[in-house]
Amino acid sequence: MAGTIIGSGITIEGEITSDEEVVVSGTVRGKLSVDGGVTVESGAVVEADVAAGTLSVGGHVTGNVSASDRVDLLAGGRLVGDVKAARLTIADGASFKGNVDMDV
Amino acid sequence: MGRAPAAMQPNDLDSISVLGRGTRVRGRVSGEGDLRVEGAVEGDVNLTGELLVEDGAEIQGNVEALAVTISGGLTGDVMARGPIVIRASAKVSGKLGGTEISLEEGADFSGRIEAIFDMPPELGGKPVGR
Repeated sequence: MAGTIIGSGITIEGEITSDEEVVVSGTVRGKLSVDGGVTVESGAVVEADVAAGTLSVGGHVTGNVSASDRVDLLAGGRLVGDVKAARLTIADGASFKGNVDMDV
Repeated sequence: MGRAPAAMQPNDLDSISVLGRGTRVRGRVSGEGDLRVEGAVEGDVNLTGELLVEDGAEIQGNVEALAVTISGGLTGDVMARGPIVIRASAKVSGKLGGTEISLEEGADFSGRIEAIFDMPPELGGKPVGR
């Protein structure tokens, strides 16, 4: 079970920092800095800059994203913002607008 | 880990939110459903459901929720539409308002308690507390 779960009815406006896994099913506005994995579930809304170890996007993310390991944009996911990550996958059915920096 | 009351057992995973031990929020937390805080929150919390502040957790801000159970630290005013329970391990400072307020022996509390309830008819039958 994830350390932190932001449920579908919950909105957090501000800055979240965590050193454990974070699952967002609700709404986050502001900034999200996580040492571990971040999962943005389908139906979730993240309007924030995100820094994470790994990021998996099934919902909507607006903001610049950086991951020390990888970013996975899943089918149905939407990401508007720049991505900085060593590895990036964009699934069929996902939407994405932004620049990619794979640090080459 | 602290104990969770029966109402917050994972029968409906969608409505359960947890801010884990390693998580710190600086800002506002609001919304529907219950929330368990094991980490730190600096800011106001406004919920339609129940708030559980676990032992080791720290909240600095005002809280509005259906019911509030505090085992950790809380600095700020708490307004509950239902009961407020302050466990023995809690450190609470602020004004508490709710229908029922219980304070366990050993809890560290400073502030004001305003319980809103009806007086029995022989004492006038009028609501007191506020």
